[in-house]
Amino acid sequence: MQEQNTTFTMPDFLPALPEMFLLGAACVVLLADLFFPGRNRGLTWLLSLVALAGTAVCVLALEVGEHGVMTFSNTFVLDQLAILMKLAVLAASATVLVYSRHYLAARDLHRGEFYTLTLFSTLGMLVIISAPHLLTLYLGLELMSLCLYALVALNRDSAVGAEAAMKYFVLGAIASGLLLYGMSIIYGVTGSLQLDEIAAFIGAQEERHLGLVLALTFVVAGLAFKLGAVPFHMWLPDVYHGAPTPVTLLIGSAPKIAGFALVFRLLVEGMEHLYVDWRDIFILMSVLSLVAGSVVAIAQTNIKRMLAYSTIGHIGFLLMGFIAGTSEGYSAALFYALVYVLMALGAFGMILLLSRKDFEADNLDDLRGLNARSPWFALVMLLVMFSMAGVPPTIGFHAKLAVLSAVVNAGFLWLAVLGVIAAIVSAFYYLRVVKLMYFDEPQDNAPLSGGIDMRVLLSSNGIAVLVLGLMPGALLTATIAAIP
Amino acid sequence: MIESILFYIFAGILLAAAIGVITARNPVHSALLLVLAFFNSAVLWMLLEAEFLALVLILVYVGAVMVLFLFVVMMLDINVAGMRRGFARYLPLALIVVAAIIVQLALVFTSDQFGAQMLADLERYPADYNNTAELGRLLYTVYVYPFEIAAVILLVAIIAAISLTLRRREGTRHQNVGRQVQARAKDRVRLVDLPRRQGEGDK
Amino acid sequence: MITLAHFLVLGGILFVLSVAGIFINRRNVILLLMCIELMLLAVNMNFVAFSRFMENMDGQVFVFFILTVAAAEAAIGLAILVTLFRNRNSINVDDLDVMKG
Repeated sequence: MQEQNTTFTMPDFLPALPEMFLLGAACVVLLADLFFPGRNRGLTWLLSLVALAGTAVCVLALEVGEHGVMTFSNTFVLDQLAILMKLAVLAASATVLVYSRHYLAARDLHRGEFYTLTLFSTLGMLVIISAPHLLTLYLGLELMSLCLYALVALNRDSAVGAEAAMKYFVLGAIASGLLLYGMSIIYGVTGSLQLDEIAAFIGAQEERHLGLVLALTFVVAGLAFKLGAVPFHMWLPDVYHGAPTPVTLLIGSAPKIAGFALVFRLLVEGMEHLYVDWRDIFILMSVLSLVAGSVVAIAQTNIKRMLAYSTIGHIGFLLMGFIAGTSEGYSAALFYALVYVLMALGAFGMILLLSRKDFEADNLDDLRGLNARSPWFALVMLLVMFSMAGVPPTIGFHAKLAVLSAVVNAGFLWLAVLGVIAAIVSAFYYLRVVKLMYFDEPQDNAPLSGGIDMRVLLSSNGIAVLVLGLMPGALLTATIAAIP
Repeated sequence: MIESILFYIFAGILLAAAIGVITARNPVHSALLLVLAFFNSAVLWMLLEAEFLALVLILVYVGAVMVLFLFVVMMLDINVAGMRRGFARYLPLALIVVAAIIVQLALVFTSDQFGAQMLADLERYPADYNNTAELGRLLYTVYVYPFEIAAVILLVAIIAAISLTLRRREGTRHQNVGRQVQARAKDRVRLVDLPRRQGEGDK
Repeated sequence: MITLAHFLVLGGILFVLSVAGIFINRRNVILLLMCIELMLLAVNMNFVAFSRFMENMDGQVFVFFILTVAAAEAAIGLAILVTLFRNRNSINVDDLDVMKG
């Protein structure tokens, strides 16, 4: 032990350029915000968007080969999958910032912390996406989650917000504890923290190590908590409901991509040889999530709660891609995650557009007669709802089709049938929204809020749901190319 | 032999303290028992020759985190009596879950797959082994990237804690250091040349 | 003679106690936070023991980071708790039922 290995070569910093840029930019935003005058946070907002755009440019500037590059002593990886997911996360975060500005400005919430914490949480997602090592995976997860816990309590005078933050925090911390206990046993059995070495160790074993199966149950329980899969979903409706809508928008969008990365890196790259063991738990969670997501959502009158249960249902579909256990299935799950984020941005963005000072627009009744107030945005919402329900030709149809065909090809016909039934049941509450917008009388005729930037982006969000649905080829090819 | 005795003594106190933490009626007692648990863990880690972590556990955990807990417990006037009502209601559920986990752990730890690894005796490091240096060497070379992320996490904790709890109350007086430093003598004392009136000095 | 088994069993019991604590103290947030600290202690015990018996320092490095993150987590958790208490003068979870659905 005394013979210390002092041959240390400087790591290659270049692959981590986006993370380094975003960290620097977030610190600049944090400091600059102090010097921007008055209540107008427009400059902070602009600077944050520039930070995200600059990071995206850094990601695009990087070249990776087929197998990706590892650096920082194998604690960082950059591959095709990472590049695709990073771009998606950055785009989603930027969209969140654009949609949120007017809502925050109309209330007393327009503080610099919203922007810095959003940027740091985006940084956490980038770290998760590029983690080939248990330690970086854990740290990225905590960086993302800690920012989100604090953001939920952004409105300090709201009892509901503080309550939601507390629930989110306690359950998130317990989930981290379970995940860590599982990781400690994985480390004890395999002697390594690096996912590729863990995979090699498990692959070399003739019989299954019981310790790893035990570790797996803890890890999967922790992951299910973070994803919000039934039976670990209790926090999700309360957090979606209690958080300020911009924060709900943030939690409901980009972290789902990070969640996919978390599951993919841990279970597929690290423990693919234990596929049979985690598949069974996933089947159970997927079935329960589909049922809860389609049935319980019908009873909701609050649109944020309804979308929370709808998220649980979508997580059930996403898990199907993992259940298939093939490259096709993983690509389908990735495709589903990306499409879901696009739809969630549209749906929560619409709530933000309808709300104004002292009015939250988070009840289903607030959507009544939207067609009479603004035919264009009623159409946008119609497209998003059709896509969530999986109606062709929207992109949501292709997402459902991809995961369903993956599970059918893997031999789980019954699960696919259940998925179709769940989709039909859940179509009921999505179409109820459409009915409210088109066939009911408006309750108030106040003009819609939101600046030109938000209106343009929300419109293109709705158009994207349709256009990508008509031409899904490029995105499908990208997701298939990303999974080796 | 002496190590076994030490292990059983400190592990025993640790478990007793842990039971105390989850059953104590008063949150202050819980916090203090948790401090006791941390001290005993630190001793056990010393037995494992993880000296640096043992000391950090005491300095960071007991010195900072638990003190913060105690501050909050004492600052918030918590109604202790009302908290206990749910105790008996959840006890059966707790017992079921706990029993399930115990069976799982026991099955795994007693299986022969861990066998030889589990029962090997601890071999002491040589006297010139330096746990802190070894840890430091890894932190600043192999684990430099996680180290930076940890720094960002601490920064986020600072931002979040301040933004959640800092309130500027109206009417409180506080210093403006910048203005104090910028103040010059001529802002405070004004020397005025008073014209001397005729005849005044003659008296 | 102390073996790896001793420490794993100790860690296991600590973990089980923390889970039990979470169940029986569901109504008291501050005790929940302490149970989470206990759970992390169990994890750390496992990591240190594995690390020492395998003579592989990676586990101890992991514990170093868990301690760091746990400190940050405690700071944020207590800050949220203080915000909650300011808003409702109670941290009893049963009182937290504004949202229903």
